[in-house]
Amino acid sequence: MSELFAPKRTGVARWLPWALGGAVILVAVLFPFLVDRPRFWLPNIGVRTIWLGIIAMSLVFLNRYVGLLSLAQVTVAGVSAYGVGVMMVTFEQPFVLAALVGLVAGTLAGFLIALIAARTKAIYFLMITLAIGQVFYSWASQAIEVTNARRGLAPVLKPDFGFLNLNDITSFYYFVLVIGILCYVLCRYAASSTFGLTLQGVRDSPDRMRALGYNVNAYRIAATTFAAFIASVGGIVLVLDRAQVDPDVVSLGSTLDVLVVAVIGGVGSLGGVFAGALVLTLLSNFAQNLTDRYMTLTGLVFIIVLLFAPAGLAGIGKQVKGLIARRRTPRHDAPQQDPSADQSAEHAITEGKQQ
Amino acid sequence: MPELALRVDDVSKHFGGLKAMRHVSLTLEAGERISVIGTNGAGKSTLFNCIAGTFPVSSGTIELFGENVTRTSAAQRARRGLARTFQTSRLFEQLTAAENVFIALGGNEFRGGLLRHFRRDTARWDRVARLLDRVGLDGRGPQPVADLSHGEQRQLELAMALALEPKLLMLDEPAAGFSPAERASLVTLLRELPQEISLLLIEHDMDIALAVASRVIVMHDGEKILEGTPDEIRASERVREIYLGGSIDHAA
Repeated sequence: MSELFAPKRTGVARWLPWALGGAVILVAVLFPFLVDRPRFWLPNIGVRTIWLGIIAMSLVFLNRYVGLLSLAQVTVAGVSAYGVGVMMVTFEQPFVLAALVGLVAGTLAGFLIALIAARTKAIYFLMITLAIGQVFYSWASQAIEVTNARRGLAPVLKPDFGFLNLNDITSFYYFVLVIGILCYVLCRYAASSTFGLTLQGVRDSPDRMRALGYNVNAYRIAATTFAAFIASVGGIVLVLDRAQVDPDVVSLGSTLDVLVVAVIGGVGSLGGVFAGALVLTLLSNFAQNLTDRYMTLTGLVFIIVLLFAPAGLAGIGKQVKGLIARRRTPRHDAPQQDPSADQSAEHAITEGKQQ
Repeated sequence: MPELALRVDDVSKHFGGLKAMRHVSLTLEAGERISVIGTNGAGKSTLFNCIAGTFPVSSGTIELFGENVTRTSAAQRARRGLARTFQTSRLFEQLTAAENVFIALGGNEFRGGLLRHFRRDTARWDRVARLLDRVGLDGRGPQPVADLSHGEQRQLELAMALALEPKLLMLDEPAAGFSPAERASLVTLLRELPQEISLLLIEHDMDIALAVASRVIVMHDGEKILEGTPDEIRASERVREIYLGGSIDHAA
């Protein structure tokens, strides 16, 4: 029988990812006890990092495994948030029902966007999803009967389940943390399934997939719908955190925030988005202590990350490994690194042909 | 009357003003092996892509196993039992050789199991291993496609086409860039294909084209100009003129 898989990794390469993941979760769990002012840190940094990360993770999933760069993930999260807002504020329904409606509405929105956009690829997919996002933004800003226009829907009150009162900021933080971890596990699971591997085939060569008898569009639509479900979960956390939903949630600025988070974290890595989200929330909270020009500073950080770590914060490990390998074999300058992380980013942007 | 695997009837293909292929007809009986030869730009690959469904035809009809498939998609034709390779490799570049074949095996079947961890599908992985062995890629399974040599990538192409268990196998210059040793093993492999598989081979290399096929079609300038047995093609003045520049004897 011929060999099929690379031999299991040994030593550092084997335990380091687990150790890193464990350390991140440990810090996240101990976070309320590590900070001096939990009332500031938990909502403004902790919770916001997690929902930004979840929405960005849905974008990274699509990019990493399907090769599609979607700018409509914020829109999908917004549809979900509006679903919750309409149910709770306009119809005064309980949170659980509202959350279900939000999830279904957001996932359905993602499915409909996929129906329109799945035939296109790369830059065309990006433009179509951007356009759809902007259409929804202007509708949300004007449809006073549904969205209450610019004033938005408020208040979206956090529920009290009895055994768990989300109005308590520490409980709310842990609730959101669990949701964030579940979303990550779900994405990893989808990626490592036969479905996920097949998606990578669609990413690398749609023509080949058609010649093999696959329905390429069906796979793209299924993946986009799955990513929309993840983004919708992010939208529900978002609306609980903000306690209201208004057009700012789906503005171009929010779209760019999520894109910046994905790029800083690394568009090739599902877990990296949380590092990216943490950087952005820290910047948006503390930059004003240093300068009035918060956007300029964010832009600078963005450029520095792109210059020195083109695969994002999550790619730094691989970069270091590459540097060490080069040091050890000084005359051999072709690095034997897995190029997938940064390739998928390039792939999404440069392969601008319509399929 | 023997069953027809493929029937191409008066097919033309224009790209704008360029008439890449004009009024080509051919038939392929079940189990028959045909080679299509011709110089660069003769329209071989256009014919190939029209049959596979990658390009829509401008006029004419294409029948696969007795059914008119002229208007169906490449994926639908693949599900009817047509497998093809690509002239320029279109492999899944970021995956390993084994994963490429694994995906190829899923094309014709939609049996669920999509949500299982892909490594747990041991039955499918067994088939992957057998296919890799069959095309001479044993032991190369864990290699990323980017680390495979050109010849190995062509072998992988073949494994992926065979994965579909096709009734009609279409190979687009499978020996391009092969070493002489690899050519010889390709000929052996093609001759050992199960008798019921029909084969349509596009090949630049006359040795392989004539060694494998029972019938040869010569294309020139977008038209089919000649059809015959390998011996007839070897003997043809016309082929000598346009294709080989008069040096056909050594090709036998």
